[in-house]
Amino acid sequence: MGISNLLQTGRSSMTAAKTAIATAGHNIANANTEGFSRQRVEQSAASGSPKPGSRAEIGRGVNNVSVSRINDEYVEKQIRNSTRDLGHAEEKDLFLRQTEDVFNELNGEGLNRLMTRFFNEFRKLGNEPDNEAVRQSVRESTKALVNDIKRMRGEVDEVRRHIDSRLDGYVREMNSLSEELRDLNLKIKVASVQGGLPNDLLDRRDQVLKHLGSFADLQMHKDNEGGYVVNIKGVGPLVAGPTFNKFSTERSPADDQGKMVDSLDLKTEASANGNVTHLVSGGKMGALLETRDKLLSTIVDRLDQLAFGLSESVNMVHRQGFNRYGQQGADFFKPLESADRASERIDLSDEVKTNVNSIATAAEPESPGDNRIAIAISGLQGQKLLNEGKATIDDFYNSIVSDIGVANARNRSVMTQQKDIATQLGKIREQVSGVSIDEETANLLQFQHSFDASAKVIQVADECLKTILELKR
Amino acid sequence: MRVTENTNFGVVRDSVRKSRERLENLQMQSATLKKLNTPSDDPIGSAKVLEIRTEKMNNEQFLNNIKLTETFLSNSDHAVGELADIMVRAKEIALGQASGASSNEDTRLGLSEEVTQLFLQGVAAANRRIGERYLFGGYRSNTAPISNQGRYQGDDGQIMAEVSKDVFVSMNVPGIDIFNTNPKGALADRESMESATELKQADGRAPAQEGRRREFKLSGDETTENVNFFDELQTLRIGLLTGDLDAIRGTLERFDSMHGKLIATRAKIGSRIQGLQTTQGALERHTLTNATLSSSLEDADMAQVVSDLAKEETVFRSSLASSQKLVQPTLMDFLR
Repeated sequence: MGISNLLQTGRSSMTAAKTAIATAGHNIANANTEGFSRQRVEQSAASGSPKPGSRAEIGRGVNNVSVSRINDEYVEKQIRNSTRDLGHAEEKDLFLRQTEDVFNELNGEGLNRLMTRFFNEFRKLGNEPDNEAVRQSVRESTKALVNDIKRMRGEVDEVRRHIDSRLDGYVREMNSLSEELRDLNLKIKVASVQGGLPNDLLDRRDQVLKHLGSFADLQMHKDNEGGYVVNIKGVGPLVAGPTFNKFSTERSPADDQGKMVDSLDLKTEASANGNVTHLVSGGKMGALLETRDKLLSTIVDRLDQLAFGLSESVNMVHRQGFNRYGQQGADFFKPLESADRASERIDLSDEVKTNVNSIATAAEPESPGDNRIAIAISGLQGQKLLNEGKATIDDFYNSIVSDIGVANARNRSVMTQQKDIATQLGKIREQVSGVSIDEETANLLQFQHSFDASAKVIQVADECLKTILELKR
Repeated sequence: MRVTENTNFGVVRDSVRKSRERLENLQMQSATLKKLNTPSDDPIGSAKVLEIRTEKMNNEQFLNNIKLTETFLSNSDHAVGELADIMVRAKEIALGQASGASSNEDTRLGLSEEVTQLFLQGVAAANRRIGERYLFGGYRSNTAPISNQGRYQGDDGQIMAEVSKDVFVSMNVPGIDIFNTNPKGALADRESMESATELKQADGRAPAQEGRRREFKLSGDETTENVNFFDELQTLRIGLLTGDLDAIRGTLERFDSMHGKLIATRAKIGSRIQGLQTTQGALERHTLTNATLSSSLEDADMAQVVSDLAKEETVFRSSLASSQKLVQPTLMDFLR
């Protein structure tokens, strides 16, 4: 073997060392990059060509130098799932907290107190049916009650609007991620065909998949060219080859599956009738839709029933009574035809609004001391008027509060659990793919030494050549 | 196991965050003195707390109702007592003038003047009111129950007050039950006096009618003769004026039965007041029990909170201190 081969060996090893140093540098640079997998130089020894009869086979340095990433696909998949479930719980938590705030009266005023006050005002009126000041205070306490029911309805609607605006944002984010995934698939394919290992593109794609997967329940698998095909469970393909399915939102009327009026519908370009609102589940979007169409709409429904039940039953008694003018049959609340939007429309009747003496207290005319109607109305507090005769108005409202509390508490424990899982998986990923500065520093030194040594090899080869060239002189 | 710097920092961040979370929760509890701050802290407990609050507010109202009912009843008691005294005095007069031996025209004329005064006193007592409300008019609480002629102008309405959940006590005694020994007879008298059209109107009072009828069946023996307080005083007065000793003697027994009726009414009122006091005691005990229950549900155990807070602070400090150890210098720092 010739001296020039020795130069070649030195050169190849210098290149390998330089690559390794550069890779260590790249790792250190990306130590804090989210989703980065540490990279490693892989190389193999270049064998020499054996000469017949010679037993000294001399290698020719190092070749097949490549950089690969250290990454466990299974861990990535688990991380994707846990990101999705954590996102689901966190998103729900955000809105459950907001909803809970609407109904929280443990540290202050609220509908429960106002309802009790309302019935007690009628008890006071029963004590003094001929006292106009008490009548005024009955009217004021009713106004406060009505306003609070409306406030709740309004605030729940505010939460609903907040959910919708977030949904809109997520749809846009999801579209841009789908597009990016499609492009990444393409780039990775091209790079692979050219024989490269596009490590950083692969990392980026894992990140995109993770983000995309946090929005909804997705199924993903690799096609035979290494591209990812993503389907949304229950809806159909999201990204496949060169196409991606674009989502959009649309304001639309209420539907029979719990979507409230003016809420956003979710649409896709690809699916048959376009509307996939009730098909998407899981992830952040699933959480939004679930909170909006199951929880919030049930709450609004129950508020409506409460408002309707209250105004109907009070009216029913009140209509039998006689007011201060000996007239019978007036309503106390403005009559509502149905429970539909009752919590928005509940109000005092015009008669009572304009004149407190229109409040009926007596069961017979010209009996200013007769309090039977007032007492009958206060007695409604203990009657099971709602939920098909199973709940008093108080019970009914308290059960709304405790149901929200239960939903929130349950979700919070799920969230804590998911957070722990995510932390644990993060640690596992860090264990496999994370960059350790200590390791990289040691590697740097190691490769620096090997770089020095390779240079030395070239120097020695050079000196050898010099010696040989000087032989002739 | 490979441990990287990111793992280290992650652990630091995580433990500090968790510790801060617990600290905040304890801080909240010690600031509000409550362990229940949102329904989700204890959903079932918070529904119970709401229920207890409703009960508490209701009980306060019931206590107010009791106070009012008691005032109404004791005022009624005083007035009925006055009426009874009048009866006693009237009977004394009648007894004194019942026989010709002790009676002469001069004394009779003088005494008839006293009986007139007794009559007026009786009207005043029967028209006693609290504020604008007459005690004995039944539901017709805005008009004087007894006219100057001694006619009853009220009705037999029982004004009920809720003194405890679903427990009602009548806060008034309708005059018709006081001034007559047999109200049923009195009503028959009155109805016969009222015109037929008025009677029809009365029948039209749908919800009240049934209650009234029942009320009458309860009170008094239907067969006994009715004695009216004011009628009897009139009889005595006319007897004294005309010197009709038989008529005067005739009033004696009826004054007795009227007096008996008034005493019975006082006894009825007294037992109602006693019942109210028992109810009041029960309500106060109930309020106390509720307060204890609600406190155990929503109040933070301060000793516990404070000691937890101290403990958590130690945890927090040590997690910060250990972070210092965890965030070790890297190999870099030693390669100079």
